[in-house]
Amino acid sequence: MIEIKNLHVTVEGKEILSNINITIPNGEVHALFGPNGSGKTTLIMTIIGYPQYNVTDGEIIFEGRNLLDLEIDERARLGIGVAQQRPPTIKGVKLRTIIDFYSKNNPEKADYISTQVEKFEMQDFIDREINANLSGGEIKKSEIFQMVVASPKFLILDEPDSGIDPVFLSKIGGMLTDILKSKKNQDKITTRKSGLIITHTGDILNYFKTNLAYLMMDGMIGCTGNPQEMLEQIQQHGYEYCINCNRRKREFQ
Amino acid sequence: MSDNRHKKEFRAKQEHSDIINIEEEDILRLKEDNKPEIHSLDEIKAKDIKTLAEVGMVMNENNRSGSYLCYGQCGFVTAQFIEGLECIPIEEALEKYEWLKEKYWFKAIRSDENKITEAISSSIPRGFFIRVKKGYKIKKPFQAALFMTENTRVQGLHNIVILEEDAELTLLTGCTSTNSIKKGLHLAISEIYIGKNAKLVSTMIHSWGPQFDIGPRTYSIVEEGGTLINTYCSINPPRKIQMHPFTHLKGDNASAKYVSIILGTPNTCCNIGGTIMMTGDNTGAEICARAVCKGGNIVQTGLLIGKGKNCRAHVDCAGLMLSNEGMIEATPALRALNPDARMSHEASIGRVAPGELVYLMSKGFTEEEALSTIIRGFIDPGIEGISPELDAALTEVAEISGHGEGWDMIPIRNR
Repeated sequence: MIEIKNLHVTVEGKEILSNINITIPNGEVHALFGPNGSGKTTLIMTIIGYPQYNVTDGEIIFEGRNLLDLEIDERARLGIGVAQQRPPTIKGVKLRTIIDFYSKNNPEKADYISTQVEKFEMQDFIDREINANLSGGEIKKSEIFQMVVASPKFLILDEPDSGIDPVFLSKIGGMLTDILKSKKNQDKITTRKSGLIITHTGDILNYFKTNLAYLMMDGMIGCTGNPQEMLEQIQQHGYEYCINCNRRKREFQ
Repeated sequence: MSDNRHKKEFRAKQEHSDIINIEEEDILRLKEDNKPEIHSLDEIKAKDIKTLAEVGMVMNENNRSGSYLCYGQCGFVTAQFIEGLECIPIEEALEKYEWLKEKYWFKAIRSDENKITEAISSSIPRGFFIRVKKGYKIKKPFQAALFMTENTRVQGLHNIVILEEDAELTLLTGCTSTNSIKKGLHLAISEIYIGKNAKLVSTMIHSWGPQFDIGPRTYSIVEEGGTLINTYCSINPPRKIQMHPFTHLKGDNASAKYVSIILGTPNTCCNIGGTIMMTGDNTGAEICARAVCKGGNIVQTGLLIGKGKNCRAHVDCAGLMLSNEGMIEATPALRALNPDARMSHEASIGRVAPGELVYLMSKGFTEEEALSTIIRGFIDPGIEGISPELDAALTEVAEISGHGEGWDMIPIRNR
């Protein structure tokens, strides 16, 4: 699905990411752990194509195409979807505006979207200014709901579980489970979607299977492994221990 | 300070900022007694039907309570009388009703108020007279179009709208010209009288060629409990437009809201403002001005005068710069003459935030679609139940603004 090879990224001339190598196959969801400032958000913003992130080396291959040759909107239309942690408010622009964009000239999709609005209880959100005067949980719900209607092939989620109460976590988890699962549509079965999820607490990982996790430290992938095991080690001993554990393993080998 | 003093100041301000030139030749043309070019909507040419539709005039009159069309110099009405609603050309109304001259003709504004009122007062009366009788609430909008044809160099109109007690009307006015003429002068005076507990929702949509000079003048008086909601949207700006409607909230509990949405393009000059004077107690006034500048000069002004007890008012001028060329000047102003007045203002001018643009692009919007969407949000007047005609006009403004040259100042990529 997506292959990141030898990726080096600078922001305002300073190298933030170096030698990132990640492969996420079709149907797999991977998690990205790491302390604040380690480069996690830089990595996902680079995949999405935000202009301030300058790739100095490497490539990002998505379904055989190098994303670095494409603009941000072209990447989105190719199937890269993102739920941002701190999306902007846009004066006068409503959630409905974005939802309507996805169903433009597609009445079938419009019908589907209206059922999803009810299913995920979004009626109170769609005619409000996007991301304005919403709680943290509501913003995340709004962002993930956009993924429900956009139905991207590859999901990028930036801390969908941070700072939200258990009730909202359950709602968001339910939405993500629904997006990711394989679906049967008009006798056509679509495989489970792929994704990359940044999480500190790992709470969101309880709602769907996560195949692999990475630990990012100082702009590099320091460790790769089982998400639950890695999370337990981080929670018990901290990020440094996890990195050292990996180093010890390599020395032992 | 007396009410007349405020009006005098308003007059002086208008004269000072007057940008519309009226030549002797124009005044002579306004005095010409021209024959009507057409007599019904069916006679309008196909290309003009499309142009009129852009400013909200629908030929099949679907969902309309009636129509007035000033085609060139002369106007006609399709629905002479619907129960409770009367619309006839002003020249007929002046002959029919003696009281019109005595009570309403140049009563909200003096005929020597400015050079536009002087020019119109000396010309042959043209325009529409609309009256909604006491207690009638006209559900479907009435549409009026002021259309300049190939034969029209100058158009001068004097409209009178009277809403009697407890009456309601939605008025859609579209002003434009046939595409083949690029130059002209359009002058219009509207006197609006809103009776006790009556309500007028007026939407005016303009679309002009690049060499037109436009001078609409609207003066309204609102009685006790009356409401005026006045929205102006300019799709294609003329070379020059100056528009400063003046509303007097005379009765207690009266309210008025002005909304203006202006697109400025290179070599255009838009001077758009408004004054609302509140002398009644517990009155409310709001001015909301939005300007998008792709070039040219835009001046937004708004003055709220609070004299009545417990009056409340807010003026908000906001501008969006899409080009390194051009200018927006925003001047919201308040004048309180009563210690109980609660008045506020705000003004802001800026460019499109790159973060907003890339956010929408990350959802799959192209750069142009994202820009148009942001502009459409910016110019949204925040009126509940916005008419489809205004909605279409705003979308058109956003799309024109979001396309073509003039917005490459937004640093979202290495261009």
